[in-house]
Order: sequence, then C-alpha cells, then structure tokens
Amino acid sequence: MVPLLARRAGFALAMILAASGLAFAAISAAPGNVAALIAERIAGPAATAELIEKVAEDLGLNDPLPVRYGNWLRDAATGDFGVSLRSGKPIAQEFSERLPITATLLAWGGAMALLISLPVGLAGAVSNGGIADRVLRPVSLVAASAPNFFVAALLVLLFSVALGWLSAFGGGSVASWIMPGLSVALFPGAVLSRVVRVNLQDAMSQPFATTGMAKGLSRPGVLLGEALPNVAVPYLTTFGAQFTLMIIGSIIVETVFALKGIGAFFIEVIRFRDFIGMQAVLLLFIAFSVFVNLTVDIVCMLVDPRLRRSRDA
Amino acid sequence: MTGIDGLKSARRDAGLLESERGLAAKPGRKATWGRRAVLRILAGLVALAGATTLPGAALAAGHKSLRIAIAAEIGGLDLLQNVSPLHTYSLVFEPLIRYGENGKLEPALATGWTVSEDGKTLSFELREGVTFSDGTPFDAGAAKWNLERWMGKDDFSWIGVSDAMASIATTGSHSLAIHLEREVPVALLELTIVRPVRFLSPRAVDADGNQAAPIGTGPWVITENTNAGTTLMPNASYWGEKPAVDKIELKVVPDELSRSNGLRAGDLDIIGGEWVAALSPRRARALDQAEGTSAATAPGTAAVLMTFSPKSETLNDATVREAVALSVDRNSIVQIIYEGFADPTANVFPASIPDGGKEQPIVPRDVDAARQKLEAAGWTASGDGWSKDGSTLAVELMVSEEALPGSRRLAELIHGQLTETGFEVRVSSVDSATIHDRRQEFTYDLTFMGTYGAPYDPHGTIANLLLSSVDSGPDGKIFMHPDLDPIIEAGLAAPGKDREAGMQAIYDWLSENSAVVPLVVPQRLWAHNDRVGNFSIPATAYDMPVEGVVVNE
Repeated sequence: MVPLLARRAGFALAMILAASGLAFAAISAAPGNVAALIAERIAGPAATAELIEKVAEDLGLNDPLPVRYGNWLRDAATGDFGVSLRSGKPIAQEFSERLPITATLLAWGGAMALLISLPVGLAGAVSNGGIADRVLRPVSLVAASAPNFFVAALLVLLFSVALGWLSAFGGGSVASWIMPGLSVALFPGAVLSRVVRVNLQDAMSQPFATTGMAKGLSRPGVLLGEALPNVAVPYLTTFGAQFTLMIIGSIIVETVFALKGIGAFFIEVIRFRDFIGMQAVLLLFIAFSVFVNLTVDIVCMLVDPRLRRSRDA
Repeated sequence: MTGIDGLKSARRDAGLLESERGLAAKPGRKATWGRRAVLRILAGLVALAGATTLPGAALAAGHKSLRIAIAAEIGGLDLLQNVSPLHTYSLVFEPLIRYGENGKLEPALATGWTVSEDGKTLSFELREGVTFSDGTPFDAGAAKWNLERWMGKDDFSWIGVSDAMASIATTGSHSLAIHLEREVPVALLELTIVRPVRFLSPRAVDADGNQAAPIGTGPWVITENTNAGTTLMPNASYWGEKPAVDKIELKVVPDELSRSNGLRAGDLDIIGGEWVAALSPRRARALDQAEGTSAATAPGTAAVLMTFSPKSETLNDATVREAVALSVDRNSIVQIIYEGFADPTANVFPASIPDGGKEQPIVPRDVDAARQKLEAAGWTASGDGWSKDGSTLAVELMVSEEALPGSRRLAELIHGQLTETGFEVRVSSVDSATIHDRRQEFTYDLTFMGTYGAPYDPHGTIANLLLSSVDSGPDGKIFMHPDLDPIIEAGLAAPGKDREAGMQAIYDWLSENSAVVPLVVPQRLWAHNDRVGNFSIPATAYDMPVEGVVVNE
C-alpha cells in the first residue's frame, strides 16, 4: 500500500508541475501589455512609456518564459506567491482570508450534493419505472443542464426578492449559505443521483441480487443491503470529479452572492489582468483537483479490496 | 473524556439531551426519534433560519444604517497611492475647497481664499475649531505638512499647481500661502480633486512617513474595513452638519445583477454611481418601474466620444471624418443604448464643466450629406461601398466592454449607421489590457473614449488626451495634430478674462477639423429603496450620495 501511495503522490506532483507550467505559459501568452495596465493603475494620468518599461523590468516581464516560470515555481514552493497587483496584498494573505469562505461553500455544496443525490437516486431505483422514477429522471436532467449562474439568479429572485426569506448575499448567517450551497450542489447532485440510480439498477441485475430476492428479501431490502455497497466506488469516483468541478462553479456563485472567496478573487484578478494572482489561483485549483482525485483513489482502494489488490499487483 | 462523554457534551450543547430526557421520562414511551421530535427539530431549524436570515429590512430596523453597494473593496484610502477607488475618500477626508454644482468653488477646510494679481500666490484662511478624528487639531502647520507631502513631487507633476509650486508658508495659526513659480489658471480647481489634495492627520503616518491609517477631518470615521465591506460611523468631532444616519455599511458586490437583486430584496439601500458600482441604463429603468425602488438621475459631467486614430490613413482626411460624424445618429444612441438616460451632445465637455465652451449645434444624421463628403474627398461609390486608388473605405472600430461598459452594443449601433453610408466597418472587441496597449500604439481607426469628468475637466482631458507633448501612456489620445498643440498650450495658460476665449479656440479647432465626434453625455445613475429619503446626487461622480440622506423606519 505504501509504495502504491508514494507512486500516486509522485504522479500527482508531476501532474501539478505540468498543469501549472501550461497555465503559466497560457497566461503569459495572453494579448495586451500588462505593464501598461499596471503603470496606469500606479500612476494614473502620470503613466509614461518610461514607467511602463520600469514596471516590466521590475516584474521580470522581459525575462524568457522558462526563467520566469522557474523563478515563480521556486518562490511558490516556499509559499511566496508574490503580491497581488490588484489589491497590493501578498497572495498568501489573500488566500488565508478567502480560503475559509470557499471551503465553507464547498462543504455546503458537497453536503447538499450528497443529500440530494442519495435519496433521489434511491427513490428512482426503488420505484424502478414507477411514478417517482419517471418524475425524478427529467427533473435530474433539467437540474444537470441548468448552469449555476442561472440557478443562483432564480434562487435569489424567488427566496430573496419575491418571498424575502433569505438574504440575497451569502457569508453571514447560517441560512445565508443555503442558496450559495444549493447553487453549486444542484448540478453535481443531479449527476450523482443518476450514478446512484443507474448503478443500483445494474447491481440489481447481478446474480447476488436475484439470489437475495429468491431467499425472500424484499426489493428495497436487497437494494439497501446488498446492491448499495456496490455503488460506492462509481459514486465516490464521480463525487470526486464533481467536487473538483464545484470549485469552478464557485467562481460564478461567489460573485453572484458577493462572497469574497477564492472564486471571486479569480474573477477579480482576471478583470484586472493581475497575472500574478491568476497564476497563484490556477496553481491552487490544479493542486485542489489533483488532491481530491488522489484522495478519492485512496478512499476507493480502502473501500474496495479488489482495487487495492489489482493496483498493488 | 471518553468518546461517549464527548458526544453527550456536544449534544448537550446542541440542546438535544434535554429533549431526549423529556421523552424518556414518560413511562411506557420509547426514547426514539418519533414524528413529534422530528417536527420539533424541524421547527427549531426554521426558527434558527428565521433568526439568522432576513438581515435586510428586518435587521436594519431599529438603527439608521445606510447600506450602499460598492464594486470593489476600498483598500487603505492612501492619499498618495493610486490604489483605492476614489469614492470613499470624501466621507473621511476633506479638501480646502469643495467642488460644487457646475464647478462652483465652495469653502471646506478653507473658509476663504484669494489669488494675487499675478496669480502666483494663493492665500487661504483655514477653518478654526476643526480637529482630525484622532483629536489632532487642523491648523496651518497640519495643512502645510499635508501639502508638502505631494506638492512639487515628480509623481504629482500632472497637477499644475504641484508642478509650479515654489514654496508653502504659514502666515498665521490658521492661514497659509502657496507660492507658485508661474500662474496656474486652474490652481483652485485642482485643489478640489480627490487625491492627493485632501488632508490627513499628521499622526496617521508611520516612521517612514507613509500613511498608516485613514484619519481625516470628514464627517465619517472608518471603524471596520475588510475585503467584504467597510463600516463607517459618524465623526463625533466633525465641524459641519451631523449626518442623519447612524452608520454607513459599504458592501462589496461586484456583480451588477446581484446589486440590483440586493436592492430589491432589501439587503441594500443605495446602488449605482459610475465610479462606485455602475448601474446600467437598462437596470436603472427596471428598478424605477419596480415596486419599492426608484432610480435617481443627474446630468453627467463626462462625455462619451468617438475618436480617430492619429495614425489612421483613411481617417487622416478631415472630410472623411466629417462623413463619419454625419453618419452618426445620436438620438438613437440615447434611446437604444442609454434607455433615454443620456443627452446627445456635439461638445467635448458637458455644459456643467466650467470653461467647457459654447454649446455647439448638433448636426442631425444625414447619410446623403455624408456620401457627398466622401465624394468630395475623392472616394468613388463602388457597389455598397467606396473605393479610392484601389483601396476600399474600410475602418476598424476598437472597443472594450471592460474599459467602457456598454461600448460593445454602442459599436454595433455605430457599425450599422456607418455601413449605411458605405463604410466597411470591422468591430474589434478586445479586453482592457489590449485596448490600453493598442491605444498608445494607435493601431485602430476608430474607438470610444470618455472625458475625465468633474472636477478634473476641462484641463485634465485637454492636457492629457489632446496635447501631443504629454505622454498619456495607456490612456492614448483623443486626437493629435501639430497645429492643435500651440492652441492648447495658449488656452490652458490663458489667465483671467482671456481664459474663456483661449479655451474656446481649442474647441473651435476640434470642431472645424472634425477631430472628434462627441456622442452623448450619459446621466449619472443611482437607485435606492423606499427606506432612503432626501436622496440627492453629489456634484461629481467621485463622491458618495450620503449628504442629507435620511433613513425612514
């Protein structure tokens, strides 16, 4: 198990390096003179060509790309992501202020996705072609097709503007997290409910399910007792992928609900062309994605001994 | 503590243990999660949600707090750094002279002022009995210390009165004089701008002289400042009229739709302001028609211009530029793009800007006249377009939605109007960095630009965006021509009675040469809910509309 984990961790590190390198190159290739924009922000009407050149030199923008990437990676490895051009604060400070917001949002989203997907998937499987199954299937499809900015806007219009039940902004009270959480959870919740539904159906066609029912167990009894554990691996794998996507959803949802998290920061640095901020946030996203997938892999191996054995081999 | 003890402790904290005990105490009753217990918990959750939600109208009741949306956090409000947005400075810091309606100079920290006959000495009588919010007295010494932080420094050479400063002298405990090397006709007007001219407590700096805290003499004091918002309380020692509200909460809401929904939901009281949290004309119209919210407008102080690249070969000919101007229908721009919240103009500056020039007549759109101009310029009609020396009449219109919100739609409208005349128009929609880059390289034919607005105009826009000898960096130029430079230099330097004629000469040259196509003056748009009373829009787009505002319970 330990050599396997070490191998996976090494692979994850290589993934982070490759992806961050690509992200760095893509940001560097973006059109427009960043130094000019920064000079204007620094000096306002007094921004001159001389100042623009000085900004470019100070930030190392005139160095070759590999040199810039190497310098950046060296600093990032020590936790020094540079200073945000937008806010003037160290990026590490921005992260420490904003990460709790995004973490809370993702926790709400993950919990809600779980709460949505399991009952809906189970209800569909128990119903198996009945009214509940026929109703939940298109509902899941619609939920999985609705972009989260649209969901967020609809929720605000209904619960804040029309009914006045919830604040239009998140991040305050416990209840203020309901709509942001639901906005990021709806899509993964719908996808996961289909994973539960389809995999339960698949498991129910296996010989062990037939045997269970032949022994006199009820269909719900076989579903919950025998078939459900077989859904764990595909469910966890999909949950990991969807949880990773939630951080992308947070970019819009945090902006809509005025949450000052990492997602909103990403939008701000893009608008400002704060390339230092963009590189740091992208590295964080990449690391998060790799970490979640690594965790899911490990959990799946712990849950399913067959995987452990096959990968150890 | 064992695991079970820990669980019990947690459940006691959650108030669950008592209810369990109550259920178990009844003989014959099974201590399980019955229907009633579930209902109780659900009721408790609803009560908890009720207690912790509705921060809008419900929580605002009982205290006169004014909640205003801002698009980005205010930062440290450093008076010497170009970092913080300008709109919050006026709540905390005051100038010597305030910019009033139509550029009228009003007393603020100076109760009176005089300019010597040669224009080289500005004398100020300072208001007595004023203290900074940290208790430091505002006197001539504090004023001189403040002025010397920026006057005469290279970073602020773009301010005429700073560039020309010779010395600053206190002439009494509450009077001082600024001596200039040369006359600066707009010296007093320049002292009304937001940054760096306002006054900081001399105790609010660190050992290196850098601003450590935003401590001013203004009506408000910052008590909390995070990246999510800012809270301000009244300055107890403020010398002027006390605010009618107890607290101002500036809430950072970057998204315009969210601001609008927040206003309608009662989570915000005021939204809008071009430099605060821009409100689009379409949204302003919708809020004006919605129940419980109203839009408020004021004439704009900045104009939207269509400008020509000085390096455009096609548009180098004034007659072709005239054809462009004749092709444009300003009324359709007002109605379609600005929903009526703008005024058509043929002037570079709105009428409210002092020395902004005589009102120019707006020439209505005339496609036939435009086509005649093209013929006069040597172009030959060819199919739907025009050609000359083997070239077609094609222009690139460069826009950036980030640099000028609404400019993409405006470009599409202009595209249609120019196409009807026969121009082949290509609209390039680029990001903010690219437009800043290309503006200084003049690699476009047409683009949109805005004037700076009060209190920076007309001298700010003219000096920076029209004078070729000034390096305007990424701002680019409205227009440049060797013949124009001496006219501008003479106009900007013209003192007293000669100033109006000098400035008018600039506007006349621009008009006669079709150097720029002024389009509209967008109105300043705000919206507020019914809690807000006595709402009025301040004289400049860089101020918060809080003066005199009351909150109705």
